[in-house]
Amino acid sequence: MKKKVAFKTLGCRLNQFETDALVTDFYKGGYEIVDFAETADIYVINTCTVTNQSDHKSKNTINQSVKKNSDSLVVVTGCMANNQKEYLENREDITYVIENTKKSSIYSLVDAHLNGEILHPADLSQNLFNFSVVEKGFHTRSMIKIQDGCDNFCTFCIVPKVRGRATSRPVNDILENIRKVIDLGYKEIVLTGVNISRYTFDNLNFENLVEKILDLPGDFRVRISSIEPEGFGEKLISLFEHPKLTPHLHLCLQSGSDKILLQMRRMYNLQTYMEIIKKIKLKYPLFNFTTDIIVGFPGETEEDFLQTVSVAKQIGFSHIHTFKYSVRNGTRAARMPEQVPAKIKSERSEIIRTLAEENKLAYRESLIGKTQRVLVEKVTSKGMAKGYGEHYVPVEFKGSSDFKNTFNNILLTDIRSGKEPVLTGKIL
Amino acid sequence: MKAKDIAKKNQVGKNSILKEKSIVSLDSLSLTMDTVYKIHSVRNLTDTTYILRFDRNNMQFEAGQHITLGVQGDNQTREYSIYSTEKDPFLEVLIKEVDHGMVSKRLKKLSKGDVLNVDGPFGFFTIGSFPAPGKKYLFIATGTGIAPFHSIAGSHNSLDYRILHGVRYSEEAYEKEFFPNNRYILCTSRDSTGDFTGRVTDYVRKNPVDSDTLVYLCGNCDMIYEVYDVLISQGLRSDKIRTEVYF
Repeated sequence: MKKKVAFKTLGCRLNQFETDALVTDFYKGGYEIVDFAETADIYVINTCTVTNQSDHKSKNTINQSVKKNSDSLVVVTGCMANNQKEYLENREDITYVIENTKKSSIYSLVDAHLNGEILHPADLSQNLFNFSVVEKGFHTRSMIKIQDGCDNFCTFCIVPKVRGRATSRPVNDILENIRKVIDLGYKEIVLTGVNISRYTFDNLNFENLVEKILDLPGDFRVRISSIEPEGFGEKLISLFEHPKLTPHLHLCLQSGSDKILLQMRRMYNLQTYMEIIKKIKLKYPLFNFTTDIIVGFPGETEEDFLQTVSVAKQIGFSHIHTFKYSVRNGTRAARMPEQVPAKIKSERSEIIRTLAEENKLAYRESLIGKTQRVLVEKVTSKGMAKGYGEHYVPVEFKGSSDFKNTFNNILLTDIRSGKEPVLTGKIL
Repeated sequence: MKAKDIAKKNQVGKNSILKEKSIVSLDSLSLTMDTVYKIHSVRNLTDTTYILRFDRNNMQFEAGQHITLGVQGDNQTREYSIYSTEKDPFLEVLIKEVDHGMVSKRLKKLSKGDVLNVDGPFGFFTIGSFPAPGKKYLFIATGTGIAPFHSIAGSHNSLDYRILHGVRYSEEAYEKEFFPNNRYILCTSRDSTGDFTGRVTDYVRKNPVDSDTLVYLCGNCDMIYEVYDVLISQGLRSDKIRTEVYF
């Protein structure tokens, strides 16, 4: 009888990619992949520690797995496994705590364990990029890990301590990985990493890498995921002319106040950020910008916050991932005075959230009458094909099951409002 | 995961064989592989400011980068720019004791042979990441923010630079003799013994900066924030300004 394994991923796209790769390992090894809500023999929890809330969610998820099957083998990995290793190792109900550098070896560890052999985690190979090509994942898009770690040391961020130093994956490995997933039928590639704008390998920077990827043959498109506004050259902006590169960036802003950006030790100021936006919008008026904003960073005054609101309105981000600043021990900001009260953080977060919803609706409405090339992710039993256009907007249209994982040019005719406004249209 | 933890988990019903021998040998190996950074000297510059010199252990760094530093066995570390040059066989950092500081006070009490916890180098506040052969550089520092410029000036002999150092009193002009007289301008805000009386911001306001100058700012947040605005108002483009914040 096949052993059942369940996965839960918290946090970033990089974690999602790494979980997908682990799923592939177990699937190919003959294990049955089951939903996390089901009773399983093995639970793999890929944790996040970027905020206090992430820690809380990670711990809750671990507790859920233990409750479902107290005899299960529980593997905890991800950033919390690095940041709270001692706490996790001291828990009797967790079988293995595996740091990020050894995450790719989890299948070997578990399979050996179930065959009566314990491998010490110290014996596992350390390789940030040795993940399997994703064949059996939870996503229709194929994420490709190109980089790990970060050397920026933003004052609020624990990531450099839990993901380590910035490391770039060899170009040829990336290209080979992409060729394989295209052969497997994936039609959208999402480039992921902790700080992909800092990619550098053999004198090739991020924009050189993107250019090489776009030159690969095949009917696919490339999406750049979350990126920092640094190392942004004219070449990268020009690359968006390429039909394979989708016109969307999640360009992290964090704050619209220069004073706060300095305190955060970000590598840009507002002027630099706005120049990037301006250049891109001038060339591609419908370009979709989404972002991260931290509210309530130590010392953030009402004036600083209002500057952020003003910038968010001006740019019209179609999605804002809002974080209420939370103290991370071991970061510089944790020792800063003028911590902002929780109530004010919540109020500011709500203002940004409301603005983000208005922006989202306005942006999507602006696309009505335009065409999107939609990659269909699923088709409902009622015959509605659902997917995303190149601008990373959700689109629905009438279609049959054979539309799944195909590109379709859709004329957008209407929008269905709601918390997640969905554009509707018809095939051209 | 430690050996005892594996054993613990083994005892709680996960039916397996413990490979204890290999665990023990690996733990021993990891200890011997750690690089040891021993202190050479502590050089006091003022009552509250000192230079810590310690093993370099062939660490490759670019002048302007920083490291994290702490007392071995203590998990508290702080970031310090490297003060020594790329050519020096040792590492040095310039440290100001912080009131109620958990690291700066402890580091000062260390002596020759004591071991430090060092990680790095980190950062992009370097000439190499912003190359401009033949260009003029203006370095502006407050207090111990002079440290990366000490490293940069000593590592790049042919650099055409001027350095503006803002302190309260002239005794805080840490090892100013290192810089040639014609390149170093001391701004003192609490006495009139410097080359200029007032803050660096005042100096920059009174002495506008050529728009083709590359300006590096290192020091407290308020100084950077103010000088940045002054430079922009004088016509400097933002891509000609680099900053490193000290807290």
